Amino acid sequence: MLRKQAQIATDHVAFEAFYRRHVDAVTRFLARRVDDPHTVADLVAEVFMAVLDSAHTYRAELGSEIAWLYGVARNRLSTERRRSFKEWRLTSRVSGRRPLDSDDIAKLEERIDAERPARQIFMAMADLPEGERAVLELVVIDQLTVTEAAMALGIRPGTAKVRLHRARRTLRALPFVMEGTPA
Amino acid sequence: MSFEEEILMELKAEITARAQRRRRTGRRLLTGAAVAGLAAAAAIMVPVLTGAERPAYAVTKHADGTISVKLNELRDADELEQDLKRMGVPADITYLEPGKWCKEGRGEIVGGGSEWKDSASDKAARLGLSGLEIDPRYVGEGQTLVMAFSENTDQTSGRKTPEVAWQFAAYVVNGPAKPCVVVDNPIWDDVDGPGLPPAGS
Repeated sequence: MLRKQAQIATDHVAFEAFYRRHVDAVTRFLARRVDDPHTVADLVAEVFMAVLDSAHTYRAELGSEIAWLYGVARNRLSTERRRSFKEWRLTSRVSGRRPLDSDDIAKLEERIDAERPARQIFMAMADLPEGERAVLELVVIDQLTVTEAAMALGIRPGTAKVRLHRARRTLRALPFVMEGTPA
Repeated sequence: MSFEEEILMELKAEITARAQRRRRTGRRLLTGAAVAGLAAAAAIMVPVLTGAERPAYAVTKHADGTISVKLNELRDADELEQDLKRMGVPADITYLEPGKWCKEGRGEIVGGGSEWKDSASDKAARLGLSGLEIDPRYVGEGQTLVMAFSENTDQTSGRKTPEVAWQFAAYVVNGPAKPCVVVDNPIWDDVDGPGLPPAGS
């Protein structure tokens, strides 16, 4: 209200354009990390909801929209992981799910299947320190540049470069780690 | 409808709901700050206003006796005062530079105690969707409607810090108002700070 709002948070047309530009990439980003269609759909909604809250943090000069959006998605995802761990401990019942029809589920399962190799890579990366794993994952799996990955994680590009280098050295026996854009 | 379209619809509804909440909060802030005895302050986004040929303001008197003032630019305060006087509302209007404000103590404020809400000061002038709405019934014999406006002329996007777009204070005093002593506004740029109740309160 008092703050200068980014246009996408206040303007239907601008928001819709932004949403359509990125909803597919965000869905794939989440399907690489979560294998349940309902959770993926819920998270897509949450990520764009979080966009409305944090649109004022996006600054074009710092990097691409997608890098910023992946940063938002990562944050939602870690909230989701904490919550699902808690739910798993408290109860096995899953409730309050977004209703999905069979077309939606089929489409999401297709995405989730397509991203299966990526999820397997995640498991191989599981033992890396969190900071290194985050950079490697964004560069190798999500195909961001190191600078974009740094933006998504809110760290300096130099720091991201060092972490990427370390992660690659640790995992150099695995074929995928040298993929992704070099700069 | 696919889940993508459904999510988009939900989000658009959320954008609309948020815009409505922002407008309501703006009005609450206005009242809240006045109760606190500070210069009442509200800030709502206004479009960038250009064009020297346009009149600075437009006054409309309605059948129910209320007056609407659409402010295009913060200039010609004296003329607006005269127009309002002709319509039976003695008013004291001050336009200030961004970051400036009138020092307190411009007269005995009607409703300045604890009963601000629904007092004459609260009801005499309000910001509505179409601009300033004045109700002359709440400005009694010998009283003056005091209003101060300050607009941030820098409405360009891409600023790093949140900024107040404009501030507005209105209240009724007994007798004529004392002249405005311009001081630095301590709560300018203090968007969610201690000077104002938190957004949504």
